[in-house]
Amino acid sequence: MKSWAVAKNVFRRVGKDPRTLALIIFTPLLFILMYGYSFAGSPKHLKVIIVNEDNGLASVRTEQVGRITIELKLADKFVNALNHETLEIIKSANFDYAQKQVKIGQAWAALSFPKNFSHALINAALRMTGPKEITHEGQTIRVLPSEGNENPLAVVYLDDGNPFIMPTLLQELSQAFSNLLAEQQGALKPVNLLEIHSVYNNKITALDYTAPGVIGFALTLITIMLTVISIVRERTSGTLTRLLIAPVRPWEASAGYMLAFALIALFQAAELLLVSYYLFHIHFVGNPAWIALIIFVYTIGLQGVATLLSTLARNEFQAVQYILVILIPSIMMSGVFWPLEAMPPQIQPIAWLSPLTYANSALREVMLRGRELSDITMQLGVLAGFALLMLILSVQSMRRQAYSA
Amino acid sequence: MELTLRAQGLKKRFKERQALAGLNLSLEQGKIYGLIGHNGAGKTTLIRILCGLLRPDEGEAHMLGWRVPSFRIQSQLGYMPQEIALYPDLTVMQNLEFFGDLYDLPKEQVRERASSLFEIVRLQEQRHQVVGTLSGGMQRRVSLCVSLLHKPRMIFLDEPTVGVDTKLRRAIWEHLEQLASADVTIFVTTHLMEEATRCHKIGLLYQGQLLTEGTPQELLTRTGAKTLEEAFTIIEDQGVSPR
Repeated sequence: MKSWAVAKNVFRRVGKDPRTLALIIFTPLLFILMYGYSFAGSPKHLKVIIVNEDNGLASVRTEQVGRITIELKLADKFVNALNHETLEIIKSANFDYAQKQVKIGQAWAALSFPKNFSHALINAALRMTGPKEITHEGQTIRVLPSEGNENPLAVVYLDDGNPFIMPTLLQELSQAFSNLLAEQQGALKPVNLLEIHSVYNNKITALDYTAPGVIGFALTLITIMLTVISIVRERTSGTLTRLLIAPVRPWEASAGYMLAFALIALFQAAELLLVSYYLFHIHFVGNPAWIALIIFVYTIGLQGVATLLSTLARNEFQAVQYILVILIPSIMMSGVFWPLEAMPPQIQPIAWLSPLTYANSALREVMLRGRELSDITMQLGVLAGFALLMLILSVQSMRRQAYSA
Repeated sequence: MELTLRAQGLKKRFKERQALAGLNLSLEQGKIYGLIGHNGAGKTTLIRILCGLLRPDEGEAHMLGWRVPSFRIQSQLGYMPQEIALYPDLTVMQNLEFFGDLYDLPKEQVRERASSLFEIVRLQEQRHQVVGTLSGGMQRRVSLCVSLLHKPRMIFLDEPTVGVDTKLRRAIWEHLEQLASADVTIFVTTHLMEEATRCHKIGLLYQGQLLTEGTPQELLTRTGAKTLEEAFTIIEDQGVSPR
């Protein structure tokens, strides 16, 4: 019965604390809703550049009238057969340019149709299926496979830096080829029609892809926890009061915290990277200096968030509650485990509100793709802006902490 | 008579509770001012306002020639809060060194100053001991050392001798008197009448207002009481200042 008294007392105390009550009721909901909404979609609007040189004509032998030229425009039909919701088609005349765009991350794939694509494809189909009857100028004629052995290959250049996106891309392209071939009554396997090249030679696995995000997530969690709890403890123990009565300006105190925890985060990042690289052989081709820079700037911003949270929290327990509320959405929605491209479009803008999204993106670009500083200026710019804003707000909140300590 | 501090019309309200209700206060340079009052009378609120940690709703205070809060006076201010306010995982010396850094004191100076303070509060043996392992009374002594480390000109002590034995309390008060004779102004809150009698001037804070002020002798004479405790009871019962 004493156990019951203890349990009853827990319920009584929980009931009196609206924050804990909210934590109990809403945290599981928050988790499952975020999971459902963020992980529900499949990739959409993946940019594919098509270089279509196919002249659309096919020269075939016939039993009745000898060799004739028919207009099939198979490459155009292929493009039309693509799923235009999943793929965003951009037309270009230059395959070199298209490949370069893929390489720099501006498009997921470049697809080139050679000049004789229609011709080579129909003849390849005929060679496999044998003669076939078609209607030509109102007359049914029998077309025969030509003797040649022309190559119908379309060349695909893929960005395989994201193992969640690549299968979707390949599946979409294969599906379109299957549809096209079914229409031509061919029996060719789609892979025979595609010559596939990729930026990273299929070296990037799902583990590689998620590693930078998990590193970002781990740093977010640890840094926010450490900072909030340290500041709350400084305040509740009274040392913050002493600190702020001394000739220390609030920005100096904030900057001191930021420096300490950003350096701790750098050390932790080095730990995480070394273990991932040597133990799990994570694909890592980037410059460690850029990784350090991203983490330094990002964690400075995190200190700010943590300082603000510590202003709200009266004690360590409340601090943990606030941490959860901030962390759950940012982890679920920042593309750590699931690509942003696959999130429902209405959720995506929210994902881009989270600084972790930019940190993940920048870490991924550098670690997996070996991108340089100039390639991640957008992400770094946003993170720097976030850090500056948080620095200003955290100085303000330090002042408030002084008044409310 | 030179004033170190002058506060006028200080008011502060926390939701339903009026912590300070238009308080006026003057502190003379080189004097020890003792503030007496029940729990919740507004003593800590007053100290926090004077130290610049809390903004009053109304009124203003000037200290060492500057309006409070001012960054210019922070290096001349010493404050010993009611809580221990030390890093329990650091040693006594490490705590002092950290606060010495904040006051830009050279390492050597911190060491010398710490030695002389440790002598007064009898902590020489514990200087390298982790603060968390010390008794409550010892921790308060360390806290006092931190407050006095940078030789402040104005010192606020919030119940400085709670948990400190009588002999040591006397030693601490002797040191405070020495500081006062060197023109340091000291503002101290206390519950102990023994301490109150050692102040140059005492004030009784009641419901956010100074009910009375004067030297210990003046208060005894005014009320006709034999002890300060009795005097305060009489004044509180009257509810108005007999000055």
